[in-house]
Amino acid sequence: MGYDNRLEEVVGVVALTPVTDESLMAAHLRGDRAAFRELVERYADGLLRYLVHMTANRDQAEDLFQETFKKVHEKAHTYRGPVFKSWLFTIATRATIDHLRRRKRSAMLSLDQEADCGQDSGSSLAETLASEDAPDPADELVREERKQQVREAVASLPVKQRAALVLAYYQQLSYREVADVMGCSLGTVKTQMSRALATLARRLPESISVTK
Amino acid sequence: MNGHCTEQQLIDYAFELASEAQMHEIRAHLDGCEACRAKLDGLKAKFSTLDLLREEMGASPALIASTIEAATGAKRPAILRLWARPWLGAVAAVVIVGVALLVVSTFGPGRKAPQPVTEKSFSQENLSQRTLDVPAAAEPEKLVAADRSLRSDAAAPTAGWQPQAKLGDGAVSKSSPIPTDAGAGLTLARTEIDEKPPFAPASAIELVVLPRRENVQLTIYNGADLTLVREQRHLTLKKGWNWLQFMWANTLIDPTSLSLEPTEHKDHVQVQQLVFPPRLRELGRWLIRSEVEGQVPFELTYMTSGLAWRAFYMGTLSLDERSMRLEAYVRVDNASGEDYDDAQTRLLVGKVHLLDQIRDLAQRQYAYDDPRSRGMVGGLGLDDAELRNEEASNRILSYEWKGQVLDELDRKEIVKEGLSEYFLYTIGGTETIPNEWGKRLLSFEADDVPVTSLYKYDEERWGTDPIRFVSFANDTEHKLGETPLPDGSVRIYAQTDAEKHLAYIGGTETKYIPVGEEVELNLGPARLVKVEPVLLELRTENHTFDSKGNVAGWDEVRSWKIEIANARTLPVDIEITRGFDTPRWELKTENPTATYEKHDVTHARFKLKVGPRSREMLTYTVTTYHGAREQVLIQKEQSAQR
Repeated sequence: MGYDNRLEEVVGVVALTPVTDESLMAAHLRGDRAAFRELVERYADGLLRYLVHMTANRDQAEDLFQETFKKVHEKAHTYRGPVFKSWLFTIATRATIDHLRRRKRSAMLSLDQEADCGQDSGSSLAETLASEDAPDPADELVREERKQQVREAVASLPVKQRAALVLAYYQQLSYREVADVMGCSLGTVKTQMSRALATLARRLPESISVTK
Repeated sequence: MNGHCTEQQLIDYAFELASEAQMHEIRAHLDGCEACRAKLDGLKAKFSTLDLLREEMGASPALIASTIEAATGAKRPAILRLWARPWLGAVAAVVIVGVALLVVSTFGPGRKAPQPVTEKSFSQENLSQRTLDVPAAAEPEKLVAADRSLRSDAAAPTAGWQPQAKLGDGAVSKSSPIPTDAGAGLTLARTEIDEKPPFAPASAIELVVLPRRENVQLTIYNGADLTLVREQRHLTLKKGWNWLQFMWANTLIDPTSLSLEPTEHKDHVQVQQLVFPPRLRELGRWLIRSEVEGQVPFELTYMTSGLAWRAFYMGTLSLDERSMRLEAYVRVDNASGEDYDDAQTRLLVGKVHLLDQIRDLAQRQYAYDDPRSRGMVGGLGLDDAELRNEEASNRILSYEWKGQVLDELDRKEIVKEGLSEYFLYTIGGTETIPNEWGKRLLSFEADDVPVTSLYKYDEERWGTDPIRFVSFANDTEHKLGETPLPDGSVRIYAQTDAEKHLAYIGGTETKYIPVGEEVELNLGPARLVKVEPVLLELRTENHTFDSKGNVAGWDEVRSWKIEIANARTLPVDIEITRGFDTPRWELKTENPTATYEKHDVTHARFKLKVGPRSREMLTYTVTTYHGAREQVLIQKEQSAQR
């Protein structure tokens, strides 16, 4: 969790004391771009992972990532707290659901989509297998195959079930926080989660050692 | 707990989704049940595969940088991966065309305000009443909405539906609606909508007739058999999934061009797909997901053929024939198979490149064609489409033969505006154009347009009759020039007396006349002006001979007398063109009133004025050179050029 000296001057915090999201938002509202940068960097990985899980497409996730932070920037004056993360994921979830509805109307998939969402470094599976420090190619192949099965199982869930699962499981939000993000009741979140897990129990591959 | 835990109970236990009491009960059971513990461990192991995706990827510095810059309005634009979206080019093309069409068809005045209904008005009783209020016969394309909840096994097939017959209890959601910002008169219920859309109904369905169209706008092209139709209707939706059926049987609507979009509440209403059920001819069904209940305005757009327009001009010359009153009309003909009531009508001039003829697309059995329909029919060697085309052509011919034209009694203002290389004419107000009717509307009128009357005589082009021309320019000097004039028919009349009785002078077809261009109307042979050329003398002279004594060259001298008789009460200007079949000619005239100019290499053109009810005589002598005499002239010309 890094921030530069200029940021400290602006928000007036004591060095080594973590800056809260809320104070960063306050600084951002005062026009400090460094504060906004810090917020983006702070949630970049988590938000992008969430969006990739939701869309199963890296390109679309990056577009939504940009759209989400653009809305954060534009709607900063409406932020009332207290939990920035919930607010951020609420914006992202709404944008994602809208996007998925639009996409459903005219779904067009990039031919290299599979590679898009499966590889973060851009290297192909063949290249990975060919590298010297790669583990046993056969094991890696099985692992990739299972990963793909998991990805497909998650992607096959209805949008709201997927959102509940990703927020609760991968983002480790409490069910209450998930309810806030999704704008529904705690009971609804639990129902969605329960249905999602029941579906996954049928669709997930049998377990193997997942340690890399 | 009786028996073992179910899988769902174990899942809820593992993820703390069960209530406190259930958690306690399951925990107690697990303590004493090895089988359930094993089953739980198996489930946990299975769910552990989810962790494979846990740390899959992170955000790159480039993404973070571009996000910050895009969000804060810096110059760098958002990342756009064109290489990952090969379809973007096609989309861009569609957008360009779409924008053009939207510009063409922006709604003008006369639009009726939507009539939202209150929550109360969505009762079954009122819906039924609304249905009964709509006469089915007045809705030829049979636009109907259906909902999955309305289906029943006993429902009538689509082709024979009874609009007012059935309305299931499920027509309106049973949720408790709460007012929101969705719009006045609309309700947004909290109940969940099933994420999975219903399967498209195949053949049996209960249908609800919708209100009539609120607005319709026609953009009729004259360069192709093409009309863009945009119509607005208020559809009554219920929360959830709604089916809307559109039939284009007996019309010339292109089903591949159908588009449906809500014009309001776009965040709450999505048109998700258009399906063409098998074995059902000429109909499509839209699937609409709605988070609101009530009337939502929609815009339906499509292309059709069978509508056409054409320009007509009527010019009335003044008594002195120096000016003209010009009235322009457009005639709109409807043979599309569909009635258009109170349509805002726009007429577009310009060539349109069509990949397919709309008429052909409209008459396909299946919207996007079906390979099976390409088979031979009845051993005639014709396929379905050809047979239907012939039928349609006969219908059009029959219609034209009938010549049903209804002249508009009230004058309509026709507004024109430029649209790139096209030109758009908007007829003021609205028009009702029933199927198989034609309608003539006044486009514009201009008084005292200065014109030039001219008679032309050219035997090679028009024979022995002089031809009458009236010319003017489409510019401000001639009190025109606001817009190009579309191609069409012109009829010219002249006032015969002070009482303004009219005489038909002649008519012609004119091409598209851009602003600033001069136009010359050929009104046909003149009846009161005669031109009679008489050859008075023909002789040869200046003969030359070759070495054998044969004639090698000579001059031909012709003397002509041309008598011009003007039986009109007005003086006339006349232009007489004479040809000599050779580029080497010499002309002498002894008539002081007739001047001539070399029109081209083989023609001379005389211009003269003839007084009212009088005659003029034009005499000239022309010498042409032949054989060796011509060669001598050629050599002289060549040496002069050197």
